[in-house]
Amino acid sequence: MLHIVFYFQVHQPYRLRQYRLTEIGKSGNYFDEELNRNIINKVSDKCYLPTNNLLLELIEKYEGAFKVSFSITGTLIEQLRQYRPDVLDTFRALAKSGGTEFLGETYYHSLASLFDENEFLEQVQLHSKLIETEFGLKPRTFRNTELIYSDKISDIISELPQFKMILTEGADKILKWRSPLYAYKSYTKRHLLLLKYYRLSDDIAFRFSDKGWVEYPLKVEKFIDWIEKLPLIEKTGKKLYLNLFMDYETFGEHQWSDTGIFEFVKNLPKHVLKHNFASFIWPSEVEDSINYEPEALSVKEPISWADTERDLSAWLSNSLQWNASKTFYKILSNIKASGRKDLLDTARKLSTSDLYYYMCTKYFQDGDVHKYFSPYSAPEDAYMYFMHALADLEKRLEEGI
Amino acid sequence: MLTWEFPPVLTGGLGMACYGMAKALLSAGIEIDLIIPTNEEVYFPLRKPEDADSMPIAFIDPSRGKKFGKRVKIQHLIEGAKYLDMAYFTTGEKTFKSIWEDEILKGIKGITSLDFLFDILSKDGPFFPEVRNYTAKAVNIAKHLDFDVIHAHDWLTSPAALLIKGLSGKPWIAHIHSTEFDRAGGAGDSRIHNLEYMGVQLADKLITVSSYTSNIIIEKYLADQNKIKVVHNAFFVETTGKPKQRIFKEPTVVFIGRITLQKGPDYFLDVAKKVLRKEKKVRFIMGGKGDMEKEIIHQAASMGLGTKFLFAGFLTRQDLESILSAADIFIMPSVSEPFGIAPLEAMSYGAVAIISKQSGVAEIIESAYKVDFWDIDKIVSIILDLVKNPKRLKEMSEKSIEEVAKIRWKEAAQKILDIYTNT
Repeated sequence: MLHIVFYFQVHQPYRLRQYRLTEIGKSGNYFDEELNRNIINKVSDKCYLPTNNLLLELIEKYEGAFKVSFSITGTLIEQLRQYRPDVLDTFRALAKSGGTEFLGETYYHSLASLFDENEFLEQVQLHSKLIETEFGLKPRTFRNTELIYSDKISDIISELPQFKMILTEGADKILKWRSPLYAYKSYTKRHLLLLKYYRLSDDIAFRFSDKGWVEYPLKVEKFIDWIEKLPLIEKTGKKLYLNLFMDYETFGEHQWSDTGIFEFVKNLPKHVLKHNFASFIWPSEVEDSINYEPEALSVKEPISWADTERDLSAWLSNSLQWNASKTFYKILSNIKASGRKDLLDTARKLSTSDLYYYMCTKYFQDGDVHKYFSPYSAPEDAYMYFMHALADLEKRLEEGI
Repeated sequence: MLTWEFPPVLTGGLGMACYGMAKALLSAGIEIDLIIPTNEEVYFPLRKPEDADSMPIAFIDPSRGKKFGKRVKIQHLIEGAKYLDMAYFTTGEKTFKSIWEDEILKGIKGITSLDFLFDILSKDGPFFPEVRNYTAKAVNIAKHLDFDVIHAHDWLTSPAALLIKGLSGKPWIAHIHSTEFDRAGGAGDSRIHNLEYMGVQLADKLITVSSYTSNIIIEKYLADQNKIKVVHNAFFVETTGKPKQRIFKEPTVVFIGRITLQKGPDYFLDVAKKVLRKEKKVRFIMGGKGDMEKEIIHQAASMGLGTKFLFAGFLTRQDLESILSAADIFIMPSVSEPFGIAPLEAMSYGAVAIISKQSGVAEIIESAYKVDFWDIDKIVSIILDLVKNPKRLKEMSEKSIEEVAKIRWKEAAQKILDIYTNT
């Protein structure tokens, strides 16, 4: 039996504006409200609204057989509250529909797991609280920012016993000869692990509309055919999990509506469910469904789902990113030590991983995915304005402003 | 007067110097017809000091002027083009050779190196199309003007100056603000060297902005010492008496300039690193853009200096003033600086200046620290000493304000006036 875990990451950062050096100590308003509002509106109209409505329709139609999972960051929920409460309502409707699981992650989509354990745990708890207030659901599955995972992160998450399952990337370097279709356990066996099946996930997320791809155009029939031919199916009797993880913005924003992406999603459950070998499942159901003792996997160096390296290099590969991160976590701990609660939320918005991604010099060329996502013309500009905001924050802290 | 920069067109060091000089000359009763790069055949008849700000415009072809209407401003003539448009040479069948022969050379007498000049100008490369365009326009404009002296700034206007001299028989004063030896930090562009050499040899008089620059043109371009007069730049003090507007409460050390080899930004970074190792409560700010910017930003970040070393990026005039007002110490570690106006302005804001000995401004300033640009340890010890002795910092700051207030364009303009009279 093959279970499909169809999971979506839903996130938008608070993008910074061009905070000038001469504004340090004067303004304190670091975020580009207009840009953030425009992006929330654009993504809402192109992706969130149509996809939410489509999923609602499908969940209703298949009466519980079609299941999807979401993790929505705190920074997006806040911005939806502010700019698009109508979109937030459709997420609430999905939560109520009985077809969705909502996962836990850091409120600010941060890299805190790599720099500050306590901050990491606080942000995860803040996020779980938010999901409970907004959607009435308690997250029981954890996925870290950008699927970043290591043995150490599993250790830290053990502090929060409600999480029994962690999602991460099915990186070749940790799987080696193993298949991502099995469930695994953390090196201590405290957590179950589901690993992204990156080839089939990326066929939808990245290659779907690529006319240079030999498999273009990708129709559901072909996709189902691939799933059927996945090795091991029905041969060992072990339960298999096909983990299709992707950014939610895949639907309508990265792959535009005219590529046929919505048709693809619409037809997927019909074709999956007519075969008796496959079904949809939530991560939290895996524990009860599994019929073997999963193998323990050790992940010494953190992995992630980003770029071909599947490591931390998108956020932490050059000196700009390191200096910005280290300086940020130092100021954050000073803020906490001082008891300046009024600065905490603003500071934490600067922990969002996207802001460090914009400073990445790797692959910064025309047409590249890094450049596509960055509001700056150069990584050095992203760094410069970020450091001005940090200097301002530091000044407010030190001078009691 | 021929110049490549004049506010609001490119307000770099050259532009600000020409503005100050022009304003002071106008106050002394000189009338100036100013020719700068524009995309129309116009000049600026400056008759009184205020004209340097309002920039009245005169069209050579009045019907062209009518098209723009009475309210035309200089901004309209430079819009969209960083320098000037190429229309003059790209429309119709005209080549530079035909324009050179049919239009530019008409009426020019007594110049022997015209073929040499044509050869250099007709080459391609950065600036050369713009210089050809400026030269053709300036010569045509000059045919309509009545003047006594041609005062031309730097090599970009030398070809025009030489041709106008041939046209009018009037003396050419070449004003040298910098040479290719300063800018390039290496061998430099041979065509620019040739044009600078031509200017030094063929102009009737030479004005340099420092003895430092005189020595360079004597040594490198074999200039005739008797033709040279040194007129140091000055600037308009508008800032004295304004209270300092701090950005950081810690002592703040500032570098402002193009982030390029000539200006020594790498020395500034090394200084910051060494100072911060000994004293954490100091802030460093680097303002400006340039070809070494990325390299320096990455280096600074790799030193882990946190928010102690910040970059300001491109500066508007207002940003520049805000940062100078926040500065306690201003460093100009230039490898080679013909003059260097920035420290004077910083001093007028009460910043204590540490300046390279390899600069023209070092010749006229007493109350600044003068160092070799490479002597990082010396610069570090001066900064640490000032940071630890707020009283000394304050005394030096007051002395700086006082001294710089005396450096006026009026005196510089008087020297230029004497040169005009004796040419």
